[in-house]
Amino acid sequence: MTALLDIKSLTIDIARDNGPARVVDGIDLTVAEGESLGVVGESGCGKSLTMLSLMGLLPNKIKATGGSAHFAGRDLLRLSPKELRKVRGAEIGFIFQDPMTSLNPVMRIGDQIVEALVYQKAMAKPAAMQRAGELLELVGIPSPRDRLMAYPHELSGGMRQRVMIAIGLAGNPRLLIADEPTTALDVTIQAQIVDLVRELKDRLKMSVVWITHDLALIAGLADRIAVLYAGTVVEDAPVDVIFDRPSHPYTRGLLASLPTLAGKAMDRLPSIGGTPPEPGRRPPGCPFAPRCSLAMPACNDALPKLAPVPGSDPRHRVACFVTTEKGAA
Amino acid sequence: MSAVVEDKPNSLWRDAWRRLRRNKLAVAGLIIIAALVFVAAFGPWLTPYDFLSQDLDARNLAPSLAHPFGTDDLGRDVLSRLIYGARTAFLVAVIVTLVALLIGVVLGAIAGFYGGFFDKALMWVTDMTMSVPQLLLVVVINASLKQPITLWMEARYMETMNPIYRNSALIDFVLVFGSMALISWPPYARLVRAQVLSIRNRPYVTAARALGLTNRIILMRYVMPNAMGSLIVAVSAGLGTAMVLESAFSFLGIGVNPPTPSWGNMISDGLRVWTNYPHLLLAPAAVLAVVTVAFNFLGDGLNDALNPKGQK
Repeated sequence: MTALLDIKSLTIDIARDNGPARVVDGIDLTVAEGESLGVVGESGCGKSLTMLSLMGLLPNKIKATGGSAHFAGRDLLRLSPKELRKVRGAEIGFIFQDPMTSLNPVMRIGDQIVEALVYQKAMAKPAAMQRAGELLELVGIPSPRDRLMAYPHELSGGMRQRVMIAIGLAGNPRLLIADEPTTALDVTIQAQIVDLVRELKDRLKMSVVWITHDLALIAGLADRIAVLYAGTVVEDAPVDVIFDRPSHPYTRGLLASLPTLAGKAMDRLPSIGGTPPEPGRRPPGCPFAPRCSLAMPACNDALPKLAPVPGSDPRHRVACFVTTEKGAA
Repeated sequence: MSAVVEDKPNSLWRDAWRRLRRNKLAVAGLIIIAALVFVAAFGPWLTPYDFLSQDLDARNLAPSLAHPFGTDDLGRDVLSRLIYGARTAFLVAVIVTLVALLIGVVLGAIAGFYGGFFDKALMWVTDMTMSVPQLLLVVVINASLKQPITLWMEARYMETMNPIYRNSALIDFVLVFGSMALISWPPYARLVRAQVLSIRNRPYVTAARALGLTNRIILMRYVMPNAMGSLIVAVSAGLGTAMVLESAFSFLGIGVNPPTPSWGNMISDGLRVWTNYPHLLLAPAAVLAVVTVAFNFLGDGLNDALNPKGQK
């Protein structure tokens, strides 16, 4: 499989009064053609910013300062705004977190999809409206032709997220980036959206990057999972390997804090003590060391690099001295 | 799976209209304003007398059946003059508000959306304009520009013999409207800028960017339509303010010149004789008050109707 998206040592800084603070600190990620990658991490670990930087959509004062992000052969970080605009929507589709606020409240659903088609595919309006109806049907909206005329506030959250997906798919993108698209939805609807995206991915042969903090949700969708912590990738492995043999203490902590059917109802779920370091105040060594029960003195001195896990799947890589050295010993 | 969908599609505007209709004060305001528009539009067919025809035998008459609001010191029918005054008031309000709105919306939207130096410069200009006392500014403009323009127009007339240069009402209108628009646009510019600043960071604008839409389309189709609500409220209040402003200037003698009737110069005339003939002050003042209050009621009603979040 060739890599469709290849992010190498990406760094993103926030401009602050007392100098830049690094939020994303050398992230390496690849997404192969037709692959779906789950990007997991807690709030503020830089997962959304990484994806926004690809599209040139970073908020003011936040800038990608280093590294590269090759998409289908071109470095997205070095494209002109105009070239990047042509990539957005047409080659990379984006689904946002909150379907309640991500649709223009004063435009009909149909018009919003048509907009995407007219500007990306240079379609004529009537044909675009026809296609918009097909897209709504594709994402499983009942009586799609009637819904074209509806305003966003007339639809439920799940329906709106389906509309967002339809808009994201309008340009026939090769890569769909979904930024926590189910966070704002009910649990039952979450499952439907996950199923829908998986089905669409297979049908349309797209790659998918799904950003989430919910490991359980992503299990059914992703081929591979990258775990982010404090702006770096700490573990990267195929989904079953992550669940069977989590190697990084942080990944283990995440998995341990998932509720299981076997657990007793009154048991408290285990949690990871402490909070992630603030951007700009990260320790020189492993950012997880202060919270890690297995930390060795060496962990505080140097930043561990992603390295293959000895004796595991060849694609399983982890950034942890404890794991790699213990395995080597 | 069922979506929460009502029987027929409801646009936001239709919802707003429904909420507005439930507000009695706003409806009253709307009716008064509609009546004003009607009177202003059909004035010449509604007036019982010509607004200029003098009847020196019937001066300063108290209200009666023949003259519902009495007559003034030249024996002109006050009701007829009020109706013609409505045309002036409406004309001034609409033109001034439109010009101010056009300047304010364009500048405010560009400043808010693109930011940068233009934004800073615009804020300096608005601060400066708003810090000068408004009446003073208009008085200065009118006092200093009227004579040179009048002289220039006379000279042009002598050269070209084109009758358009002899129409002194034109100078009044251009100067009065122009100077009023000049003091009225900054609040619109600031309002639009503030709206655009807040809207341009909303998720649906980011989503539109992620679709690869151009800045111009995002501004026109995603940002501005969502700023319309508060703009409409401001305009409805602004129309009332513009009418009061015009009256204030006419009252000071720098507005519309006699014999064109304006509520302001009627109040001004009435004020001189109000101890003997109170109806000459009361009639125009009451009409102006009622219309102003009507615009404010409508503005409040629109505010509530277009911002449903403030309600339960």
